[in-house]
Amino acid sequence: MNLFKYRIKTLLKYKDLIKELVSRDLKLKYRRSFLGYVWSVLNPLLIMIVLTLVFSQMFRRDIVNFPVYYLTGRTMYDFLKGSTTSAMKSVTGNAALLRKVYVPKYIFTLAKVTSAMVDMVFSLGAMVIVMVATRAPFHWTALLFPIVVIQVYIFCCGLGFFLAQLNVFFRDIQHIYAAVLTAWLYLTPIMYPIERLGETLTFIVKGLNPLYYYVAQFRDLIYYGQFPGPRVFWGGWLIAFVMLAIGVWSFQRSKDKFILYI
Amino acid sequence: MENYVVDVKDLTIRFNLSSEKVDNLKEYAIKLVKKELMFQEFLALKGVSLQVKKGEAWGLVGTNGSGKSTLLKTISGILKPYKGTVTTKGKIAPLIELGAGFDGDLTARENIFLNGMVLGHSRKFMEEHFDEIVEFANLKRFLDSPIKNFSSGMKARLGFSVATMVDPDILIVDEVLEVGDFQFRRKCNERMRQMLSGGTTLLFVSHNTDTVKRLCDHALWLDNGVVRMAGPAEEVCDAYKEEQEAAIRARKEKRRAKLRKQGKKYDYLIVGAGLYGSVFARELTRSGKRCLVIDKRDHIGGNIYTEDVDGIQVHKYGAHIFHTSNTEVWKYVNKLTEFNNYINSPVAVYKDELYNLPFNMNTFYKMWGLKKPQEVKEEIARQIADLNITDPQNLEEQALSLVGRDVYEKLVKGYTEKQWGRDCRDLPSFIIRRLPLRFTYDNNYFNDRYQGIPVGGYTNLAQKLLDNVDVMTGTDFFEYRKENSHMYDKVIYTGMIDEYFDYCLGHLEYRTVRFETERLEEENYQGNAVMNYTERQIPYTRIIEHKHFAPEEERETPKPFTVISREYPQEWKPGMEPYYPVNDEKNSRLYEQYLELAKKEKNVRFGGRLGSYRYYDMDKVIEAALKDAEEELGRR
Repeated sequence: MNLFKYRIKTLLKYKDLIKELVSRDLKLKYRRSFLGYVWSVLNPLLIMIVLTLVFSQMFRRDIVNFPVYYLTGRTMYDFLKGSTTSAMKSVTGNAALLRKVYVPKYIFTLAKVTSAMVDMVFSLGAMVIVMVATRAPFHWTALLFPIVVIQVYIFCCGLGFFLAQLNVFFRDIQHIYAAVLTAWLYLTPIMYPIERLGETLTFIVKGLNPLYYYVAQFRDLIYYGQFPGPRVFWGGWLIAFVMLAIGVWSFQRSKDKFILYI
Repeated sequence: MENYVVDVKDLTIRFNLSSEKVDNLKEYAIKLVKKELMFQEFLALKGVSLQVKKGEAWGLVGTNGSGKSTLLKTISGILKPYKGTVTTKGKIAPLIELGAGFDGDLTARENIFLNGMVLGHSRKFMEEHFDEIVEFANLKRFLDSPIKNFSSGMKARLGFSVATMVDPDILIVDEVLEVGDFQFRRKCNERMRQMLSGGTTLLFVSHNTDTVKRLCDHALWLDNGVVRMAGPAEEVCDAYKEEQEAAIRARKEKRRAKLRKQGKKYDYLIVGAGLYGSVFARELTRSGKRCLVIDKRDHIGGNIYTEDVDGIQVHKYGAHIFHTSNTEVWKYVNKLTEFNNYINSPVAVYKDELYNLPFNMNTFYKMWGLKKPQEVKEEIARQIADLNITDPQNLEEQALSLVGRDVYEKLVKGYTEKQWGRDCRDLPSFIIRRLPLRFTYDNNYFNDRYQGIPVGGYTNLAQKLLDNVDVMTGTDFFEYRKENSHMYDKVIYTGMIDEYFDYCLGHLEYRTVRFETERLEEENYQGNAVMNYTERQIPYTRIIEHKHFAPEEERETPKPFTVISREYPQEWKPGMEPYYPVNDEKNSRLYEQYLELAKKEKNVRFGGRLGSYRYYDMDKVIEAALKDAEEELGRR
């Protein structure tokens, strides 16, 4: 319990640093690009338009408003991809600093996931635009979206910690993870309705793909205007915390050895 | 026991050095399958203990890889002990390596905050200290430009300011202060001293033992991860330095022995490790020639040699003040070592009166109470006219006709008589051709564009010149020649030219002085580096107080003691230290005869003050050596 208190204390001590790191990431992202924040919105929009042209023909009967359907899934996926990829490099990327000053190393990982989250919230603007443009109905349940965001955030923190520590020891994890991410994208019902996968694959995805839980919840709130079912809701929380536990445990276990490898 | 701010007990740090660095999964898997995954254990620190009390300043010395940085990293919490314990009390601020911790794309303002928070401060705290930090770093104008446009010096300034403005309990400095300009370094030193007196504990790593001695009161010497010595900075640094130098000597000796064994020899034997010989050796070595420098004294530097007496650089062979108007020479020496901005302004003591030198308006005001240059000129002209000397027959008449009676009697007469050991009326008039009078209030003795003294003494300069040259001190040429004449092709001889020819035509004469050097347990003896005593009755001509040659160092680290040298002129006899060639007719003629002999000598070049029997200022010696070296290399 004492150790826990101590941990909380250090976290509080460095909360300003986290804030500063997050604001640095966002500043650097938007400061010197010509369109700044607009990119955050424009990027998913452009991809969405291309995909809509292709897929809305393919799934005409299954999906009513493909752009919104697609964006609800894609937002979740992009957050996962962005946050975990940058979190993976958070320890090695700050090697010069970590070699010289004592700073709790998880601070950097946490900051990366947090800035990705803020970025994601920004990019929700794209979705609002699309919803207005396609005259999609706004449901009151959409206001509950933070519930999902928090779950994904916790999940990504856990996964980020796990990857960050692994990347210290094995730098080629980055390549492997890139491949994993691509597979993940296609194994998650983002561009297609899950029913299209067939029975066995649907069963597997529903059972083993954590991202499914978040996409499904998010879609329920925004696209379908209904509260998520208990299975995905409680499952989502459970998976988030299990991942966090794995991440924290693996990070804790090896953090003292980082210095020898960075 | 409870007072220790840093308490390191029996610390051992272990690294697993894999024989090859495996940092990817593929190789790891391959090695795992092949069972080649071997780790080599490496102990960076072995049973190190260190106890630091509040307010102490510890310097860590040791060669590369001795574990200094590892120890500091463990103390700052970056590394975890393998065995043993490390306990610290209070806030630790490490002075971060240049640029680490800074984000090049962010502005200085943003980086100050980021850096501060990395050190564990809150935003509020940083806001409170922001102005102070900017003020100290002196970067106000650049606050909003990205830091990637900063020079390394500017970054260092910023880093130092952030780390130190916040009054840490423990400041950790790992060789980062050697950047930035001189002024900022001084500011850093001042700030560190201020922090030290404010109770901050300092842990400092440096290769430069002089810096350690200046900043720290204690030192720890690490050698291959083991404590070799811990204690007062002076003792530890001296012991460390001694061993370092011994190691270098041993290495050089080994190299020489190897050369000898291989039957290899030197292209040049340079006799005399003084300024001329050293510059010559450096230039030849830089052009790929193998040189051996020998000197019969047991130190290098010749007459510019300075000896470190507890931090005071004592000019062993008389005051040497470097002054030149030759930009090339000034650049040359400054590339080798740093010079301070000492300006020579000697003071003359006559009875109980003090006069500024050289003869300038301050002198004249003191003497006659006259304030305007015109009045002074008239007064001197009047005094000269009164004497009505048309054809000066001796030095006295010559001097009188140049400066008038008052200046001559008080400032010239006694001093000159002591210097030459004879009455001014018995001295030839040509000794003094002119006595410059200055009609401004300027006490700078020299008229040259550049002036100064090497920081840390002239021995540094000599050492730098000979850095890559083999040197054997305590070696007499005439002895060495007997057995080793096969070891070299050519000789550069900077000793006395008449000695080389075994005085076959007779002795050249010199003026010489004797120094009585004394250490006094007072902080400041005379308040100036050079005091001339112009009274005949006082046996010495000058008193040199060596610490005043380094006014900045003395300001930074005032020492409670001082070293002075009284300078007594002496009649020169063979065997005495030859200082000033006497360029009178008789000696000049004799030298010409020796020169004729020298021209016939094959493969020997004579140079320097004694080799060419002429008085040289240091800049002129360097000029001559550079020119001669060029000539020797066939570039002229």
